[in-house]
Amino acid sequence: MEAGTIVAGILTLAILSFLYRDNPVYKMAEYLLIGVSIGYVLVITWTNTLVSLLFEPLWTDSNLWLLIPFVLGLLMWARFHRKTAWLSRIPIGFMIGSGAGVAIPAMLYGRTLKQMSATITPLMDSSGVPDLSGLIVIIGLLTTLSYFYFSREHKGYFGGLAKLGTFFLMIFFGTTFGYTVMSRMSTFIGRMEFLLTDFLRLTN
Amino acid sequence: MVGVLMGRRLPLAVCFVFGLVMFLQYFSEHPVAINLNQTILDYWQIVFAFTLIVGIFTYFKNNVTQISRGSDRPFRLVGLAGFVSMPLLALIWGIKADTPFMWMFENVQAPMQSTVFALLAFFVASASFRGFRARSLPAAVLLLSALLMLLSRSNIGGFFSEGLPEIANWIRDYPSMAARRAILIGIGLGSLTTSLRVIIGIERTWLGGDK
Amino acid sequence: MKRLEARHWTFLGLFVVVTITMLLNIKLEMKVSPYTQDMYTYIESLPEGSVLIISFDHEASSLPEIRPIALAVLRHAFKKGHKLIGVSLLAEGTLIGYRLMRQTADELDLEYGRDYAYLGFRPQYIAAILAMGESIQQTYPRDYLGAPYEQFELLNTVENYNDVAAVISIADGSLTTHWIEYGQARYGVKVLGAVTAAMVTTYDPYLASGQMYAMMGGLRGAAEYEKLIERDGGGARGMLAQSSAHLYVILLVVLGNIVYFVSRKQGGGS
Repeated sequence: MEAGTIVAGILTLAILSFLYRDNPVYKMAEYLLIGVSIGYVLVITWTNTLVSLLFEPLWTDSNLWLLIPFVLGLLMWARFHRKTAWLSRIPIGFMIGSGAGVAIPAMLYGRTLKQMSATITPLMDSSGVPDLSGLIVIIGLLTTLSYFYFSREHKGYFGGLAKLGTFFLMIFFGTTFGYTVMSRMSTFIGRMEFLLTDFLRLTN
Repeated sequence: MVGVLMGRRLPLAVCFVFGLVMFLQYFSEHPVAINLNQTILDYWQIVFAFTLIVGIFTYFKNNVTQISRGSDRPFRLVGLAGFVSMPLLALIWGIKADTPFMWMFENVQAPMQSTVFALLAFFVASASFRGFRARSLPAAVLLLSALLMLLSRSNIGGFFSEGLPEIANWIRDYPSMAARRAILIGIGLGSLTTSLRVIIGIERTWLGGDK
Repeated sequence: MKRLEARHWTFLGLFVVVTITMLLNIKLEMKVSPYTQDMYTYIESLPEGSVLIISFDHEASSLPEIRPIALAVLRHAFKKGHKLIGVSLLAEGTLIGYRLMRQTADELDLEYGRDYAYLGFRPQYIAAILAMGESIQQTYPRDYLGAPYEQFELLNTVENYNDVAAVISIADGSLTTHWIEYGQARYGVKVLGAVTAAMVTTYDPYLASGQMYAMMGGLRGAAEYEKLIERDGGGARGMLAQSSAHLYVILLVVLGNIVYFVSRKQGGGS
């Protein structure tokens, strides 16, 4: 058996030991996982982003414009000193501002308007047969939105709409719960496949 | 004094300018606007990468401090060893396939991380027994909807594999999707207004403290 | 040793159910869902040599579920002769994507740089998606291993999304949303999703609105896709265990409710 399989198998069992209760073996594995994961992100960010987008073009091609993001990036380090900490807000402002700027059209056009227009579909087909599914989508959307509208008290007619909205929400939460259970089970099955096939070799 | 004034005004001005530029360039096909867009997007990625490095450094600094204080020392030392080993391995052997860096990722990080996630399967099972109860009509609807999805995606044969998936797919495609769409639209409108508030400087929580 | 609590017994039950069904090693027949069929039909109907961006937008935590999904899609796309460009918008997806692309390309003796390329990681996903809409080369001046973009035959034919048939986002979170709301809405690139089951309902409105062209989800989706491409993998192997685990959870819910209603009748509540 390969060394990698043995290591992976032992570490998998160490993590699974948490199911009995928290213990030092699990804790050791947990700390190792955090350390290795952060080391990994450092390597990938450095090699895949900073070297190819910044350092290579800056040193090799002498693209001095890149000093701007370089300096902005370095300003992030100013937050470690109380007196200079305010400087780190400049790159944060740059990122927050840019993010907000691109988010406006995306949220308006890419999400809200597109989703609204997709809801408004003909309620009858060309032969005059009503499209009940389309009607249910409209009712579901409007009643769920009513549920989230808090500027008016949920009473009377409006309260009834909001109440109907909760049923649509429950259907959605139930569906999502069902699919989430599937996902979690799949992950566990994947780990068991490794343990039974590669590590313990009990099956092919 | 300069720091106090500039500490808020300058970042707000930077936020306003770049927010406005990135918003306006959406409407322009002019080569200058396209170039500016690409340049800012590149800079954004670089600055963001630096923030990741700062976060990583904070992890290192906190761990060293905690180790010197003696709290959870053996565990933290193992964590730090793992942290240092990854850049070292990458530095010596590179990041190609079949390098020690890849070996660590595939045999240490990925198995442990996916097993941590797999633990959730057990907690979901436990929660299903202890907390998933039809205490009211809406709760019963939620429960039935979840059970229907699970049954429809199980291969039991007969009606469960033929007719039920169609009913489940219809529920997913129409009533469930309608509620999700309403949530999406709500989040969309919320993000839209928050973005506007950030750009014009009404929303300032990202500035942190008051200096 | 501590006494086992009720939750330990439910844990043990799941462990036993999954272990036994996996050891039985029985393959289940299944009906392909329309969602998976749409995904397959799209890739199948593309002209040979079409360029697809495969975005590995997931973490290592979901690897057991993502791996069969990704392998099925990659094998199909490569077998159809499509040219694949791999990217990753999450750091952890980077090595996984690299490994999976190499593995599936090697199965068919495909050549790096001509049949496929792997560009690697970009940290700010919104910026990366938008930047690739202008110029992929400027966003990725070098590939994952640091070789210049212009060195590769495949990459020289691709400037931006206009030269790409579609983006397939292999995701365990909400990153596909950004491909849709930034890549598709702004640049018109077709987006398909190969996602974990937990994310399926998140993307249903985009599928219904046509912003997402097709979507397959979860281990079951992978098993269905494996059936379509006639090559078994982790999806098909796991289906008996998956179905049994579903039934086990259903049983727990039913038992829990029986206990609840009985105790409520006796006036104890729960």
